[in-house]
Amino acid sequence: MSASTDRRWLRDVIGIALIIAAGLAGYWLFPDNLALLTRVIAAALLVLSIDLITGYCGVATLGQASLFGAGAYAAGIACVNGITEPVTLILIGAVAGSVAGLLMGTIMLRAHGLAQLVLSIAIVQLFHEAANKASAYTGGSDGLAGLMVSPLFGMFAFDLWGRTAYLFGLALLVLVFIILKFVVSSPFGMLCRGIKQDPIRIRAMGSFVFPVLLKMFVISGAVAGMGGALAAISTQVVGLDSVSFELSANALVMLVLGGLGSLYGALVGTVIFMGFEHFVSAINPFHWMTMVGALLIAVVLAAPGGLSGLLDRFSASGHRAKRGKA
Amino acid sequence: MRISKRILGVALGALLAGSVSASAETIKIGIIGPFSGPFALQGKNFQAGVEAYMALNGKSVKGNDIEVIYRDLPAANPAQSRALAQELVVKEKVQYLGGVYFTPDAMAITPLLAQANTPLVIFNAATSAIMNTSPLVVRTSFTTAQTTTPLGKVAVDEGVKKVITIVSDYGPGVDAENAFKKAFEAAGGQVVESIRMPMNTNDFSPIMQRVRDSGAAGLFAFLPSGPPTLGFAKAYNETGLKKAGIKFYAPGDLTQESDLPALGDAADGLKTSFHYAVSHDSPENKKFVEAATKAIGSAEQLSFPSVGAYDGMHVIYKMIEATGGKQDAQKAVDAVKGLSWTSPRGPVSIEPATRHITQNIYLREVAKGADGKSINKEIQTFPNQKDPGLATQ
Repeated sequence: MSASTDRRWLRDVIGIALIIAAGLAGYWLFPDNLALLTRVIAAALLVLSIDLITGYCGVATLGQASLFGAGAYAAGIACVNGITEPVTLILIGAVAGSVAGLLMGTIMLRAHGLAQLVLSIAIVQLFHEAANKASAYTGGSDGLAGLMVSPLFGMFAFDLWGRTAYLFGLALLVLVFIILKFVVSSPFGMLCRGIKQDPIRIRAMGSFVFPVLLKMFVISGAVAGMGGALAAISTQVVGLDSVSFELSANALVMLVLGGLGSLYGALVGTVIFMGFEHFVSAINPFHWMTMVGALLIAVVLAAPGGLSGLLDRFSASGHRAKRGKA
Repeated sequence: MRISKRILGVALGALLAGSVSASAETIKIGIIGPFSGPFALQGKNFQAGVEAYMALNGKSVKGNDIEVIYRDLPAANPAQSRALAQELVVKEKVQYLGGVYFTPDAMAITPLLAQANTPLVIFNAATSAIMNTSPLVVRTSFTTAQTTTPLGKVAVDEGVKKVITIVSDYGPGVDAENAFKKAFEAAGGQVVESIRMPMNTNDFSPIMQRVRDSGAAGLFAFLPSGPPTLGFAKAYNETGLKKAGIKFYAPGDLTQESDLPALGDAADGLKTSFHYAVSHDSPENKKFVEAATKAIGSAEQLSFPSVGAYDGMHVIYKMIEATGGKQDAQKAVDAVKGLSWTSPRGPVSIEPATRHITQNIYLREVAKGADGKSINKEIQTFPNQKDPGLATQ
């Protein structure tokens, strides 16, 4: 028991070290693409947040951008009204995201299966329309512009090169990732996974399902909200696309690409999807979508469990081979 | 490899600082537009305008070769827009940015311009306020207020004193409603009712009933171009409003040339006001249409974003001439303030105070051209229109 716990600890420490190393490598290797990399980090937070409720709780959603957008607009509106400290803005995004998560969870968890999925789409459409209508606060379809974020710790400005935004985003991502690792391996996280596998059995064991899932929705909302706030801070504009169905669907695709139910999968999927998209769209700005479609079909056919599932399969077969020898 | 990259970086840094002679350099222009997805046709029009300009005016300015780099932004997405602009400036070392179809995307780029020492020439994004966000923005398209305002007087002159306005409920629709209302009421007309439809409305007969009930003698409409417009124009015909003599007014977005084949006879007689019709009768436009048709592949796909791009390239070429190929955004923008030339759309100039284009607005009617295809036939000209949205500020 303790040996396996130790091994898991070691694996997570190595995993997090790898994330930091990959993040810093990105900083040194692509110093001219930091705005893109910051976008990837913001999207990674969104994909992680979907993983929490879809991968760990089994609640499929196509409306997660409503939480992302809540965070983005909250941070944006706060910034325009004079709260320009970046860390505070991230916290505002987290609070707005979790409030939106509470709302969304309360509604979505009333239904099951396909109806739940449809509800998630309806919710994101409502958020989108609300943001469009409230143009006095959100700028409507013109976007909320004019965010003047003050320098981080009063020293590091958010500038053209995007170094501050990227390193700030990376630190945020690593911090969130570590916290989520604790969350998903806690008894609460176990309970969520149990609910995913068999909610009736969990109920029969005497545990309530609804409050557990709702709690995860709130956590997920906070993560997505921070992603939105990071996007708002680094872009200095919040557009209606941040509460769109398209963004929700894209993020779900990234998660499926990386692999459901593993936090690493969420990161891998986001990086591969957005990196590939950027790469092919620069080569051929006119017909690149075909290439992205081909990649998705290839991955779904070759690795139904996502890229991280593929990795697990390799490592599992490696283990088996080793064990066989010993 | 690493070392050579560093040397290259230093060399380019020196170039940016202006210490290296700028003669015979390749000057890069980054164009951001929707080249794929639902708005791909508009992006293709950007490309056609750019290529037509370069085909007619050469691929070099004062011995400096011009290289255009396209970046795709399929839908409004400010975060992606900023990332693309940053990459174009920092990595590709473009000296000029151009294009941009949607307003939020432009808003995401303008805060970067001063630091990037790069001017942005907007080929389309049509909200007035963009121009106030940076002194390094120049716009060669139009604003909804600019193209709509003349309609108010037209309606009153045609004896239409009561109008109902019907717009899609989103930014440009609301802008159009406000601009028309202001101009129409200033000319002595009365807006009896204002309807804002949800974006995805596709059954328009109840709305046509409201038009009839309102007792208005005319209607003013704004919808996103494409299928909704098609349905709207059809409903206007089929519910008998056209026969009843209720006049139809709209800005030219509704009858853009690339939509006319789909609209067919339903569009006949619709009166719109706009800054450019592909059928505009002038030698400049003839040359432009020929070159742009070659670039885009078929004449039916040509529409207004191409002329925004064509004139945008003209402005960028003049900027390069003025700066001699050296990167100096402020000098480049100053050089085109007050610049005037004959565009395919007619005489135009850049207003020095707002850096927005001053141009003729035409009243047009959809009619059959000489070859039997529908065209926007220009029937009245309102010369030298500025953007009322900016002029009032």
